[in-house]
Amino acid sequence: MFNWDNKYLNKVMLLIGILVTSQVVWSQDTGYYGYGKPATQEEIAGWDIDVRPDGKGLPDGSGSVSRGEELYDAKCASCHGAFGEGEGRWPKLAGGFGTLDKAKPDKTVGSYWPYASTLWDYIHRAMPFTQPQSLTIDETYSLTAYVLYLNGIVEEDFELTHGNFTEIEMPNKDGFYEDNRPDVKNPACMENCKDPKTITITSAIKGITPLDHVAEEEKSNQKNSSAPKTPDSKNKKEVTEEEQMRIGRKVYGNSCSICHGQGVAGAPIFGDKVAWESRTAQGFEVLKKHALEGFSGESGVMPAKGGNPSLSEQEISAAVFYMIESTK
Amino acid sequence: MKKISGKTSDLLREIKAEAAEMPVSERRNFLLRGLQLTAGSAFAMSAAKIMASDSSLPPNVPAWTKSLGRGVVSEPYGKPSKYEDDVIRRTVTWLTATPQSSISMTPIHEMKGIITPSGLVFERYHAGLPDVNPDEHRLMIHGMVKNPIILTMDDLMRFPSESVIHFLECPANGGMEWHGAQMEALQFTHGMLSCCEWTGVKLSTILDEVGLLPEAKWVLAEGADGATMTRSIPLEKALDDTLVVFAQNGERLRPEQGYPVRLFNPGWEGNTSIKWLRRLEIGDKPWYQREETSKYTDLMPDGKARKFSFIQETNSVITSPCPERPMLRKGVYELEGIAWSGRGTIKRVDVSFDGGVSWRQAKLKGLVLPKAITRFSLEINWQGEPLLLQSRSIDESGYVQPTLTQLRSVRGSNSIYHKNSIHTWKLDSDGTVSNVQLG
Repeated sequence: MFNWDNKYLNKVMLLIGILVTSQVVWSQDTGYYGYGKPATQEEIAGWDIDVRPDGKGLPDGSGSVSRGEELYDAKCASCHGAFGEGEGRWPKLAGGFGTLDKAKPDKTVGSYWPYASTLWDYIHRAMPFTQPQSLTIDETYSLTAYVLYLNGIVEEDFELTHGNFTEIEMPNKDGFYEDNRPDVKNPACMENCKDPKTITITSAIKGITPLDHVAEEEKSNQKNSSAPKTPDSKNKKEVTEEEQMRIGRKVYGNSCSICHGQGVAGAPIFGDKVAWESRTAQGFEVLKKHALEGFSGESGVMPAKGGNPSLSEQEISAAVFYMIESTK
Repeated sequence: MKKISGKTSDLLREIKAEAAEMPVSERRNFLLRGLQLTAGSAFAMSAAKIMASDSSLPPNVPAWTKSLGRGVVSEPYGKPSKYEDDVIRRTVTWLTATPQSSISMTPIHEMKGIITPSGLVFERYHAGLPDVNPDEHRLMIHGMVKNPIILTMDDLMRFPSESVIHFLECPANGGMEWHGAQMEALQFTHGMLSCCEWTGVKLSTILDEVGLLPEAKWVLAEGADGATMTRSIPLEKALDDTLVVFAQNGERLRPEQGYPVRLFNPGWEGNTSIKWLRRLEIGDKPWYQREETSKYTDLMPDGKARKFSFIQETNSVITSPCPERPMLRKGVYELEGIAWSGRGTIKRVDVSFDGGVSWRQAKLKGLVLPKAITRFSLEINWQGEPLLLQSRSIDESGYVQPTLTQLRSVRGSNSIYHKNSIHTWKLDSDGTVSNVQLG
C-alpha cells in the first residue's frame, strides 16, 4: 500500500514543500511595515502567563490545601498573617464576608474577588512580593487552594487541579457591574445656589500630612500678615497642643516611624485604632514612661526612647502625644 | 533624604534666628560658621542664599554680577536651580506597607503652564522601579492576531509616531478625602496628576500590522516589572487613541514613567497606561486581573462594585492660593487653578468665594487641549476677608463637576477611586489656606 516509487514520493515532498513555503510567505506578508520578527510558539509560551476566569491560560498541574499551608507559612504569612488577616498595612486575604455594604468594608479574596483565576494568576505572576515568578505551577495551585480554604471556599482535604478549577465559585462573583457613569448631574447654578446659613465646614484632620516643607512658608506668611493676633488664655492652650503635635510629628517621622510605621517588633502601627485602644487605655503617663524607659510586653518590645537616647523628655512626650492623638 | 532636609532646614532657621539678634559685624562670621557646619550637604547653598540677601540688593551689586560664571557643559544634563530644591515629589508614608508598592505626588502648587517636568511626574509602582535595559527589552504582540511579532525598541521606533499633550492621573487622586478632609496640602489632595507631551506609535498602527482576527475584542497589556502589571483594554479604545509611548516632553521616557516603553490611554485612569510594557495579547474577553477586580473597582453603598470604570471625569482645583501658597498680602491677586477632563476639552470653569452660594466664570488661559490640564485664572482684590474658595469645571460633553455631597449621595464613601468633586479651600483673614469640606 505504501510501496510508492521514489518518483511519486518526490512529487509529494515537493508539493508539501510548496505548501509550507507559501504558508510562511503568507504569514510574513500580512504586516505593511514588516518590522520586528515573528514570535515563535516557544517564545510566546514563556511570557504568556495570564489566566482567565474560563480557565484559558491555566497550565496542567495540581496542589493541595495541606501543601499550600506549608508554603504559605514559609513564604506568605509574614506579610499576610497566619490566617490571612494581614500584618500592618499588608493586604488581608481572608474573611470580611457581609461587610461590603457596611461603613468599613473588608475587601478580601473571599469577600470581594469575583474569580479564583485572578488569585492563581496573581500569585503566579507577582508573589512572593520580593521573589516574583519564583513559584512552580504546582506550588501556585497549592497556595491558591490554601487561600481558598482560609476563606472557607474549599475543605481542608481539597486538591485543586486543572480539571476542577473552573468549578470553583467565588462568593462575590455577581458583585460587579459595568461602569454606569456619569451618575450625578450638577445643574451649574450661578446665583443664590444655596442658603449660606446651612453651610457646615469640616476641617482636615491635623497632624497626619507630611508638612515639613509647608511649615517654613507658614512662618513667613505669619510674619508678613497684617492681621493682628491676640492670643487669649484659651488660644494659648491650643497653641501648646499644636506645638506638641508639631514637635511630635517631627520626632515621629525621624525616629518612631521606623518601627511604628510598619509594626516592626510588635509596635502598634501609627493610626491603627484597634492596636492603640488597649495602650491608650493605660493613660498618657504610662505610655510616656514606657517610651522613655523602655518596655517589654507580650506583644512586642519598646526600647528606651525608641533606641534614640539623644531625644529629650519633651520630645518623647510630644511624640507619644502625637501618636495617641493620631489614633483618635 | 527628607529627614536630612528637615534637620538641615531647622538648623539653618536657628542660625538665621540667632544671627538676627547679633550686631551686623558679627553676623557674617557667624553665618560663615553656619555655612561650614552644613557644608558638604546640598543645603549649604540655602545658607549662601541667606548670606547673599544682605549684600546683593540695590544699591549693592551681587557677587554673581562681579564674577565669571561656569562654562558650558559644566552640567551636561541640566538640573533645576539649587534654590528650587523644595520642588520635589512627596509621598505619605503611612499610606502603604512599603515604598515599592506606593505612590508619590507631583508638587502641583509649584507648577506653571500645563506641562509637568518629567522628573516631577507622580510615581506609582506595584513592585518597585525596575531597571530595564532597552537593548534587552522586547515588546511581544500575540493572541488573536494573524501575525504574532516581537519588536525591539529600534523596531518600535521605526513606525510612524505622533506627539500629544495629555494629563495622566491616578484614579485614587483625592481618594484619601472620601470620608472627610484628611490632607493639609494641595500636593497630597490632588498631586496624583501630571500632564506631559507623549510621543509614541498609535496602538492601532501596530494592531493593523499584526492583523486582528474577527473575534478580537480586548487587549491585555502587561508590564515587565516585578508585578508584571496587567490591565484589560477594550479594543474600541485601543483602536481609537491609545499610544505605545517611548518619549515624554521631548526626551525618552524616564524610568519612573516606564522606560523604555509604556502604554498610554488618554483620559483614562493612569493604572491602565501600563509601564515597562512587554506584552500585548489580543483576546475575545477581559482577563479580570488583580488590578481590575481586587483593585481599581469602585465599591458602591449597596455592596456592589463598578468594574472597568476607565474614564477620569472632569475635575478642577484652585492652585493659588492653596495651603502651600497662602495669601501673603492684601491687594490685587491672580487666583489660578487647573481643570482637566478625560472626556475631552474643558469648556468653562467657575469660581466661588462663598462656598458655592454664587459663582463667577473664570478665564481659561494658555493652551486649551482635549484631555490635558487647562489653566484658569481670575483677578481678585483681596482685603483680608475670609473666603470659602471653590472651582467647578465643565467639559465638552456638558458634564459639570459635582459637589462632594452629590457624589456621596450616589457613591457613598467607600469607592476609593474617581473622587472628582468640587474642592474647598478655607481662606482665613490672616491669609492661611486650609483644606475643608462643606456639608
